[in-house]
Amino acid sequence: MKLIVCVKQVPDTTEVKVDPKTHTLIRDGVPSILNPYDHYAVEECVRIKEKIGEGSVTVITMGPPQARSALMRCLAIGADDAVLISDKVFAGSDTFATAYTLSQAIRKLGPFDMVFCGQQAIDGDTAQVGPELAQQLGIPQVTYVEKIEIDDKHKLTIHKQTEDGYHILETKAPILLALLPPASFQPEHPPMSSILKAKKKPFNVWDAKVLGGDESKFGLEGSFTQVIKTYSPPSRGKCEIIEGEDKEAAKKLGDILLKHEALTKR
Amino acid sequence: MVDYRFNEEQELFRESIKEFCASEIAPKTEKLEGARQMPEDVIKALANFELLGLVIDPEYGGLGTDVVTAGIAVEELARTDLSCAIPVLFLVETSWGHVLDKYGTEEAKKEILPKMIKGEQIVGIATTESDIGSDLGSMKTKISKKGNKYVINGEKMYISGVAEAVEYGGGHVTLAKMTPEKGTRGMSLFYLPLKDTPGITPTYVEDIGREAISCGGFDIKNVEIPKHYLIGEENKGFYIVHEGYELARGLISLVCAGAAAKALENGIAYIKERKAFGRPIGKYEGIQFKLAEHHVRIQALRDLGYKALWTYNQEMQGKASRFEVSMAIAMAKSVAPIWAFDAINDVMQWQGAFGYTKECEDQKAWRGVRSFTLAEGSSEIMKLIIARELLGKEFLAYR
Repeated sequence: MKLIVCVKQVPDTTEVKVDPKTHTLIRDGVPSILNPYDHYAVEECVRIKEKIGEGSVTVITMGPPQARSALMRCLAIGADDAVLISDKVFAGSDTFATAYTLSQAIRKLGPFDMVFCGQQAIDGDTAQVGPELAQQLGIPQVTYVEKIEIDDKHKLTIHKQTEDGYHILETKAPILLALLPPASFQPEHPPMSSILKAKKKPFNVWDAKVLGGDESKFGLEGSFTQVIKTYSPPSRGKCEIIEGEDKEAAKKLGDILLKHEALTKR
Repeated sequence: MVDYRFNEEQELFRESIKEFCASEIAPKTEKLEGARQMPEDVIKALANFELLGLVIDPEYGGLGTDVVTAGIAVEELARTDLSCAIPVLFLVETSWGHVLDKYGTEEAKKEILPKMIKGEQIVGIATTESDIGSDLGSMKTKISKKGNKYVINGEKMYISGVAEAVEYGGGHVTLAKMTPEKGTRGMSLFYLPLKDTPGITPTYVEDIGREAISCGGFDIKNVEIPKHYLIGEENKGFYIVHEGYELARGLISLVCAGAAAKALENGIAYIKERKAFGRPIGKYEGIQFKLAEHHVRIQALRDLGYKALWTYNQEMQGKASRFEVSMAIAMAKSVAPIWAFDAINDVMQWQGAFGYTKECEDQKAWRGVRSFTLAEGSSEIMKLIIARELLGKEFLAYR
């Protein structure tokens, strides 16, 4: 089976601060990491390949040359080869242009069985690239996927997270799956032997020329959305700290909730 | 031109070991204080993450990385275990595993190194005795030939990892006199297993810091070891042992840098919050000047430490001389524990009375790095090495 994972390098948002004057993200000195949702997708994809005992896992990202380190991380986790799509032409891509660019790369890779994505990236949180990519590739998709089981005949049983629990779906390849890790997910930290192996795996860098396709659909030119301004929403309401002993504090809290009709008295 | 960047594997390794330390080591550090012996699960965790064979030849189960990579590992371990106990275990295994790898017999390497790498056995170092430390030429422990074996008599003291070797298995790279009349030119190095070895009687002392690794000694009475436990040639032990010590000293510099850097980060967080006379104490110049000085020193220390290990690597590849290695290593180790101790001491001072309690995490680092003005070559000896290289051997203070 040919498996493909689309990943993104993102700023570690636990370390990102917002400039209080310009309301833009202060990215200086903030480390870049592999998007944790994508990390989960790569681990699941590698697990499936190992389960079926054959095939390959290719990781793809679109980004600046520095995004190489995110792909190297994927190779260390167990992916077999990597493609970095990097060109100034791709700068300013919105989700549509990103999905188009990724779809071009996937087509260039040839026939495939499954495409994996993280549900969303922690910097933009749009959760749009996966579904748009499925559309571009003309294949079905399942989002909010936590777990995938595959049988000997390659039938897929998918555990899709919902607000109430799970939907269990049965499907088959080709398909795109957008993965959402369970709350207990701890990313694997590859040891040095895996890092040394990663260094020897095939790594390709493709620019717009190599990729081919309709250049008017790349980057800012191919984007339907343009960011005019980023700002922090004004703070609403106020925070009140209730002090006192547990019982007394609970009563105060109850009174406040009743006053605001968040609770009703029976 | 100078290129200060780590290579791609090293950058990925640092990222990965940071996560490993956060998820696997940090939760284990609470139970380390007062343990007086490294818990087996910590050793296994280090082994499972393949840390114990980093610099060892892949033929014996290692990864064959350079020693700078080991420096990254020990720096991150020190940032996580401020007491420095886990870093000590790591650096001892790395340094003396390396010496075994380089000078041990094929039979000994096949027997010892794979077990050390899997965390099943400890490899330590034993040169110090009750009455001698830096002055190795005056040691009393003797080794002599007896047919196909060697016989050892004497004692070793202030040795790390004795309880671990006695309990879990393993032994110590040990130095003894073989041809006493030749002084340091008559010393031999060998591997001495401690677990269930007839004639070995361990004793223990309590260090004031790094409480999770044992410190002690052992009496050696008519202990016989097979010939293949000899490390390097007979009577060359004094010179071989210094290769291990130099690697250990380079790694110690980065233990000091890691622990002090983490303590300083703790201090920065504290002085931003703690108020005195109506404003955060971080606003006072008296604090800011110290902060800036310690930051510069810790960064300089990292540079000295990594430069020392890089030079060690260069020498392994025939691209640097012994002079350059001795100098670079001694420079880093001469200041590392002192600068680190000063920084941590001030971080504790900023925290007022709390800083002097055992609730304060930084006091573990304060007690831990203090050991390194003595361990693996005292600060004074480091200065003598620097002066020796500057003035020439005719100015040796100890001859």
